[in-house]
Amino acid sequence: MSDSGPTPPQRATFALLADILVAEGLGMPAASTVGVAAGLLDRCLEAAPVLAEPLRALLDEAAADDPDAFVQGLSEHRPDDFAVLSTTVVGAYFLSDDVRRLIGYPGQQPSPLSIAAEPEYLEMLERVHDRHPGYRECP
Amino acid sequence: MLMRRTQSDVATDVVIVGSGASGSVAAARLAAAGFEVACLEQGDWTGPADYMSDRPEAELAWVERWSPDPNVRRRPADYPLTGEADVSPVMYNGVGGGLVQWAAMWQPLLASDFRVRTLDGVADDWPISWSDLAAPYVQVARDMSVSGLGGDPALPELDPYPNPPIPIGRIGLAAARGMDRLGWHWWPGANAIASRRHGSLQACQRRGTCMMGCPENAKATPSLTHWPSALAAGARLVTGARVVEIPLDERGRARGVVYRDRDGVERLQKAQVVILAANAVGTARLLLSSASARFPDGLANSSGLVGRRLMQHPYRTVTAVCEEPLESWQGPWGQSIYSLEFAETDSGRDFVRGTKWMVMPHGGPMFAVAEYQEAHRDEGFDAVWGTAFHRATAEVFGHAFTWGIQAEDLPEDDNRVVLDPEVCDSSGMPAARIEYRVSENTHKMLDFNVARAVEAAEAAGAVSTFVRDVWPTGIGHVLGTTRMGDDPQRSVVDRWCRAHDVANLYVIDGGVFVTGGSANPTATIMANALRVADHMIETRASQEVGA
Ligand SMILES: Cc1cc2nc3c(=O)[nH]c(=O)nc-3n(C[C@H](O)[C@H](O)[C@H](O)COP(=O)(O)OP(=O)(O)OC[C@H]3O[C@@H](n4cnc5c(N)ncnc54)[C@H](O)[C@@H]3O)c2cc1C
Ligand code: SF4
Repeated sequence: MSDSGPTPPQRATFALLADILVAEGLGMPAASTVGVAAGLLDRCLEAAPVLAEPLRALLDEAAADDPDAFVQGLSEHRPDDFAVLSTTVVGAYFLSDDVRRLIGYPGQQPSPLSIAAEPEYLEMLERVHDRHPGYRECP
Repeated sequence: MLMRRTQSDVATDVVIVGSGASGSVAAARLAAAGFEVACLEQGDWTGPADYMSDRPEAELAWVERWSPDPNVRRRPADYPLTGEADVSPVMYNGVGGGLVQWAAMWQPLLASDFRVRTLDGVADDWPISWSDLAAPYVQVARDMSVSGLGGDPALPELDPYPNPPIPIGRIGLAAARGMDRLGWHWWPGANAIASRRHGSLQACQRRGTCMMGCPENAKATPSLTHWPSALAAGARLVTGARVVEIPLDERGRARGVVYRDRDGVERLQKAQVVILAANAVGTARLLLSSASARFPDGLANSSGLVGRRLMQHPYRTVTAVCEEPLESWQGPWGQSIYSLEFAETDSGRDFVRGTKWMVMPHGGPMFAVAEYQEAHRDEGFDAVWGTAFHRATAEVFGHAFTWGIQAEDLPEDDNRVVLDPEVCDSSGMPAARIEYRVSENTHKMLDFNVARAVEAAEAAGAVSTFVRDVWPTGIGHVLGTTRMGDDPQRSVVDRWCRAHDVANLYVIDGGVFVTGGSANPTATIMANALRVADHMIETRASQEVGA
C-alpha cells in the first residue's frame, strides 16, 4: 500500500459501503468479494487521483455511522460526495478481471476492421436515396 | 509571479493564437505559402504517452485527466469557466485544441444553414454560402483522412471522401433497420478516422476510446495531420504561451500579441498580422481582455457583439436497449450512422430549424451503466443500486446503442461569454464567465426529437429505451461569439473573417459562425480557416499591417 493510499480501517469501511452499492445477486459477486477495497481501489485512485482525498474524508466520516443510512444520506442529499463514492466503487468493480469475464467484456481490445466486404445495408441505403426529396434549395 | 516584459524585435508575418482545429489549418497553409508564422499555444503537446485508451483504466481517466471539462482537469493551461449556465462548455487546451479529444464526427453544414433568415425568418444569413466552402470542405477532408460515403441526398454533392466508410457495426445496423421501417433518413457516418492507412494515419482498430486519445494514430488530430507539415515549412509553435493582450499601434492596428510564458515572463511577439484561433470562448475572452482607450468595450467590439450569440448545440440522448448482442463497446466512438430527417424547419411543428442525430457505441461498462443510472436517477436508490446494479449492467451493456440528438440553438445576444470580475487563470487573466440559457425553441425541438428517437429505437426492436435530459456540460461545440457579416454594426468580422475594426486582425475559429446549424462544427471550422488562409495568401500584397 502506498503512503497516500487509504488506511486499512478506511478500506474496511469502503468494502462495507461498496457492497451496499454493488450487492451480490443475479449471478454477480458483491463489490468487496472481487477486491474493490484492495488493489483495485489503488488502481482506481491512481487513474483518477482527484477522487482520493474526498474519498478518504468520506470514509472517515462514514466509520462512525450506520453504513446503509450513510450511503442513503449521501445519495439523497450530497450528490457530489455520492458521485465520489459511487464512481470509485463502480470504477474499481469493472477493473476486476472476474467481473469483466462475467459480463462478457473483453476490454477495449484492438480489433481490425474489414472494409473489403460489401456492407449489409446497401439495399436499405438505396431506399433512403429513392425516397428522399433532396436537400432544400437556397438562394 | 514574475512579470518582466521582454520583446522580440523581429516581427513575424503572422502570429496565430491557438493551435487547434482552425489554427493548425492556417499555420500549415500560410507556412507552405512562404509566410513566416508563429503560433502561440497556452497548452502543451499531448502524445501517446499521455493516452490511456489501451489501459483497462481508460474509462476512469475520463473522471479527471481526460475529462473534457477544463474545470475538472484544472491544468495550468485550463482557464476557469465560471457562471451558472444551462450548458457549460467543454474543450481541450493544448496542441491540437479540441481535436485531441474529439469524437471525429465529420459533418458539413446543410446548404440551408447559410440562409436561415431568408428561408425561415429567424437569426441571420451568413455572408457566404455553401458553395464558398465546397472546395475547402473537400481539401480538409483529404487532409484529415476522412472515412465516409458520399451521395447523401440531404446534402449537396461533394467529391468522394478519401477513405471508404468505417463499418457501421451491429449498433448501426440495428438503428438503420429502425429508420428503414419508419422510412426516415439515415446515412453511414463520416468520421475523421482512417478506415485504412492514409496520409499520416494508421487504420482504426476499433478500440472505442477515441476521446481519451487514439493509441493507434488512427484518429485525425493536428499533431499528426497539420503540425508536422507546418513545422517542416518553417512555422514556429510556442507551447505554454498564454496570450493575454493584443496591443495596438497609434493607427489602431494590432502590433502583435503579449503573452506570458511558463515562467510568468511577459513577452511581446510582434507580428504584421494577428490571427485568433483560440475557440469561441478563448477568443472572446482575449478580445474582451484587450480593452483600451480606443476600444473601451473590448478590442474589435464596436458592434457590442464580441462574446454574444454563443451557441453550443444542446444535446439529449435516447438509448435503445435490444435483446440481441450488439458489441456496443466497439469503436470507433465517432458516428456509426447519422440522420438528418428532422434537420430542416417544418411549418407544422412548433419550433424552427432542427437537429442532427447520430448513433454511437456506449463505451465500456462504466460509461454504459452511468448513462443508464443518469436516466433513471429520479426512480430512487433501489432502482439502480444494490442488486439492481447488475440488472442494469446485464440489460444495457453490450446490448444498447444511443441516438445522440444535437439541436440547432439559435444565436441570442444574452447567451454570452464575459470576463469574470473576480476569478483569474494561472496567468492572472480574467476567467471566462458563461451566461447561457436553453431557449424555448430549443426545448421544444429537443422534446419533439426525443419522442421521435424513442419511436426509432422501438422500430429498431428495442425492448426498452431510456432518455436523458439536456446535458449540463456541453459537447465541445462553441460557436458564434465573433460572428461574421457584411454590416460592421451587426457583426465582428467581415466575410473574410477580418475584424471590421482592426484591419490586420483576423478570427478564424468557431466564433465566426453566424448560426450554428445542427452539424458537428469542425469540418466547417477547418474548411473556413482554409478559405480565409487562401484569401490571405491571394491578397497579401494589399494587406494592411501593424507598425
Ligand atoms: C470531447 C469533445 C468531443 C468533440 N467531438 C467532436 C466531433 O466529433 N465532431 C466535431 O465536429 N467536433 C467535435 N468537437 C468540437 C471540436 O473539438 C471543436 O469544434 C474544434 O476543436 C474547435 O476548433 P477551434 O479552432 O475553434 O478551437 P480549438 O480547437 O478549441 O483550439 C483553440 C486553442 O486555442 C488555445 N488557446 C485559447 N486561448 C488561448 C490563449 N489566450 N493563449 C494561447 N492559446 C490559447 C487553446 O489551448 C486551444 O488549444 C469535440 C470537442 C470535444 C471537447
Ligand atoms: S476506435 Fe479507432 S480511432 Fe478510436 S481509439 Fe480505437 S483505433 Fe483509435
